Amino acid sequence: MRIRLGYVPLTDAAPVIAAAELGFARAEGLEIELAREPSWATLRDRLALGHLDAAHMLGPLAIASALGLSGPPARLSVPMALGLNGNAVTVSNALWAAMAPESDELDHVAAGFARVARARAAEGRPLTIGTVHPFSSHSYQLRLFAERGGLDFDAAIRLVVVPPPDTVDALRRGSIDGFCVGAPWNSVAVAAGLGRIAALGCEIVPDCPEKVLALPADGADFTVPLVRAIHRAGLWCADARNRGSLSVLLAERAELDSDAGLIARTLDGALIVDADGRERTNPAYLRLGTETHRPAPDHARWLVAQMIACGQVAPGGDAADRAAALYRPDLFDAAVGR
Amino acid sequence: MTETSLTVAVIDPSPARAAILEEGLRAGGVGHVVVIPDGPDLQARVASLRPDVIVVHLESPSRDVLEQMSGLSRQAERPVAMFVDRSDQTMMQAAVDAGISAYVVDGLRSERIRSILDIAILRFNAFARLQRELDEARSELADRKLIERAKGILMTRKGMSEDEAYKLLRRQAMNEKRKIVDIARAIVTAADLLG
Repeated sequence: MRIRLGYVPLTDAAPVIAAAELGFARAEGLEIELAREPSWATLRDRLALGHLDAAHMLGPLAIASALGLSGPPARLSVPMALGLNGNAVTVSNALWAAMAPESDELDHVAAGFARVARARAAEGRPLTIGTVHPFSSHSYQLRLFAERGGLDFDAAIRLVVVPPPDTVDALRRGSIDGFCVGAPWNSVAVAAGLGRIAALGCEIVPDCPEKVLALPADGADFTVPLVRAIHRAGLWCADARNRGSLSVLLAERAELDSDAGLIARTLDGALIVDADGRERTNPAYLRLGTETHRPAPDHARWLVAQMIACGQVAPGGDAADRAAALYRPDLFDAAVGR
Repeated sequence: MTETSLTVAVIDPSPARAAILEEGLRAGGVGHVVVIPDGPDLQARVASLRPDVIVVHLESPSRDVLEQMSGLSRQAERPVAMFVDRSDQTMMQAAVDAGISAYVVDGLRSERIRSILDIAILRFNAFARLQRELDEARSELADRKLIERAKGILMTRKGMSEDEAYKLLRRQAMNEKRKIVDIARAIVTAADLLG
């Protein structure tokens, strides 16, 4: 059986790419045709209209698509999550210098960010910060990062979307002062000498929900074999012994615009954070593998709470219940057992 | 219907396709059509143009940028208020099949949007057809060249006439239930390898 699976080139697409390329799908009698999508919006629309059979998708966007908040309303289910964490906040070298935090502790960094942001807003030149899509954990992490420093995000920050491959160029041109994106793009900006990784996503929100496997809700008779194939591929990806081969696979097949060594660092959670080569290690930076796969309805509820906090969803409705119902741990258990 | 009062922005990674759509919209009576290239200036250009309709190709990486500008965020600065038109599923399916998405200013009447999307769908489908025909013509030409080379190899190596060489290719293809061009490719590859 042939499945067309859409993805956006990011390190956390590893489980679906490995499932398609390394025989995990074939072992389940499936052939996965990978479709690299140029934007989350296009991936969402193609899934909603049946051009894709499955997708590596931002969790909040899957919820927004199914709730009719973004694009054509879709009937979806989420039988599996693909990982946790993986994002970071990177700021321009100039902004980092102005923030001048006394350490890399999140509270110090957030306070420095808030102080500069307030000053810039008062001058009528608010900081411009990039995210990847309105419905993304990145947008919510930026807001929580600002609030950690006591900043009113909406009043002080100009939020824009920058496609992740363009973030480095946008920093170079000065059109943004910082951004929150997934691996490996923060590291790419640091390697280019243009940015400083200011905060890891997992410090702002521990075990933050990230990408999920989204499928059409009806008639997905390939759910069980597909979930099993991606689950096994995810276990393979999480095994440190496979880091080398996985990095090469991602650099080549995902057309990630970066070298395998840099991708391996993001998988290891050993990030170079500035142009001087300072390293920060956090094994939770990007979590793949078995404990991350079972979809948690509580994650869906948390994401809806963030949507309410930034005005994407009106408070008081049943959105959280509807979102939680999309996440299907029962389908996951049926496929891989508990 | 005249659309002279409308401003339409076209965003497409293919400049040729964008030009064809631009011309089609002008011919359809749209007063003001502007092609905006993907890239770091896109947001500023859309904000200053304030288009009524944005027609954007699905392959454009800028779609997520437009979604942020569509008023989903609670921001002080909201240069354009847009939404994806979801009123008509059939229309949307046809548009996506043709590779199109559209963002439309809130309040614009749906029949005006429809006429613009109709033009875009027709033009994009015509472009895809032309592209396909061009690809087919190219591959036909490449096939013919391969067959010529294979005939040449048979003529020099086996002392055959052109007609005999062609008949041998055709017979072999029939015996193996393959295309003549596949047999020709095998001969050319073998000759390249064996020298």
